[in-house]
Amino acid sequence: MRNTYLRLLQLVTGALIAVLLGIHIVIMHVDAILGFFGVDAAKPTSWGAMIERASQGIWAGLYIALLVFVLYHAFNGLRNIILELTPSVKTGRIVTWVIIAFGIIAFIGGTYVPVALLVS
Amino acid sequence: MTEDSTKRITFKVQRYDPERGSAPYFQEFIVPASRGMTVLDGLLYIKENLDSSLAFRTSCRMAICGSCGMLINGYPHLACHTQIEELHAATLSIKPLPNLAIIKDLIADLTPLFNNHKSIKPYIIRHDTEELLNPTAEFVQMPQELETFQQFTYCVKCGICVSACPTSASDKLFLSPLTLAQCYRYCADSRDEGEQERLPLVDIDHGVWHCHLAGACSEACPKGLDPALAIQLLKRRLVSRALGLGKKKRPSSVVSPPTETKPKVPFPEFTVKGS
Repeated sequence: MRNTYLRLLQLVTGALIAVLLGIHIVIMHVDAILGFFGVDAAKPTSWGAMIERASQGIWAGLYIALLVFVLYHAFNGLRNIILELTPSVKTGRIVTWVIIAFGIIAFIGGTYVPVALLVS
Repeated sequence: MTEDSTKRITFKVQRYDPERGSAPYFQEFIVPASRGMTVLDGLLYIKENLDSSLAFRTSCRMAICGSCGMLINGYPHLACHTQIEELHAATLSIKPLPNLAIIKDLIADLTPLFNNHKSIKPYIIRHDTEELLNPTAEFVQMPQELETFQQFTYCVKCGICVSACPTSASDKLFLSPLTLAQCYRYCADSRDEGEQERLPLVDIDHGVWHCHLAGACSEACPKGLDPALAIQLLKRRLVSRALGLGKKKRPSSVVSPPTETKPKVPFPEFTVKGS
C-alpha cells in the first residue's frame, strides 16, 4: 500500500497547500483589500513585519507546515514524472534518494530563519 | 465483385525483417477493394497475390481472437474489424502496434504484455482450494454482482489499449491498461478471494498510480470496454483498503445445481395439418 499512501498524501498536501497558501496570499499581497475592509495590515511585506511574524510561534509553525507540504507535494510530483521516464528499477531507487536528499536540504534552508528566531 | 463497385486502394505497409538487419521501411501495394472488405481482407489479398513474404497475425476474422491489432492510418484497430470503406481514404498506412517491439513486418511482440497480465494472477483465487480444483457444486453469483465486472471479461488481449496508452509510450515498465483492467476484473468478482494477493502487485512505482486517466485505452478498445474506468475503480479499491473503509464481503458460497429440472413446455400442435 506504499504507493497508495504516497498518492493520498499528495492529495491531502494539495488541499492543505490551498488553505495555507490562501492565508499567506491574503496576508502578504491583499493588504489593500484588507485595508478596504478596515483591517490594518501595516506593510506585511516589509522586512521588519516578516521577521516579527517569523518570531511568533503560530506564524513560524504555519510557515514551516506550508514548507513541509509544498516540499512533499512538489518533490513527490517531480519523482513521479522522473520515474515514468526511468527505464529501470535501480535508477528509480537512485532518483528517489536524490529527491529525498534535495527535500531535506530545502527543508533545512527554509526553516533556518524562523527556527533561529524562535531559539534566540 | 463488379468493376463499378471496386476501388483501387494503396496499402502502404511497413516492412521490417530483423534477419536482414535493415531499418523498417514502407512498401506500397495496390489492392482492389469492394464494399464490405476489411483491412485484413486487403492484407490477405496482398499475401495471396502480391507478396507472400508479408508477415502479420490473424486467426478468427471476427474480432474475437485479438490477433490482428495494428496501426491503421495512425490509429490502432483490429484489421478484421475495420472496413476499408469506413476509413474514407485512397491510401492506407499500416504499421505494427506502437509501444511494443516488432518481431517482423506487422507482428508486434506481445510477450511482455502477456507476462504482465500473468503477473497479476488473472484467475479466480479461493481459500477452499479443494472445492476449486475438484468442484462439487457451483459458486453463487447474482446478476448485480456480475454487472460490476462483466464488460471486462470481454477483453480479447489484443494489446490495442497498450498501443494507445500515452503512459505505456513513455514508461516502458508501466503495467498497462490491459493488466490493470484485468486485475480489477478478478478483484471485483464475487467468487474471488485473491484481492489481498493482487493489490500489492499493482500498487507499485510503475503500477496503477501511473495512469494519467487520458482515456485513450477506452477510446481505442475494439470491444467497447472501458479499461480507464476499471483502473479508476481499482484505485478506489486501493484507497478503501488503505483507509480501512468499505465492507469486506464474503466470497460467494457454493450451492449444488438443481437436480430436478422443470418439465419442458410441450411442443404446440400445428393448427394447419396436412391432409
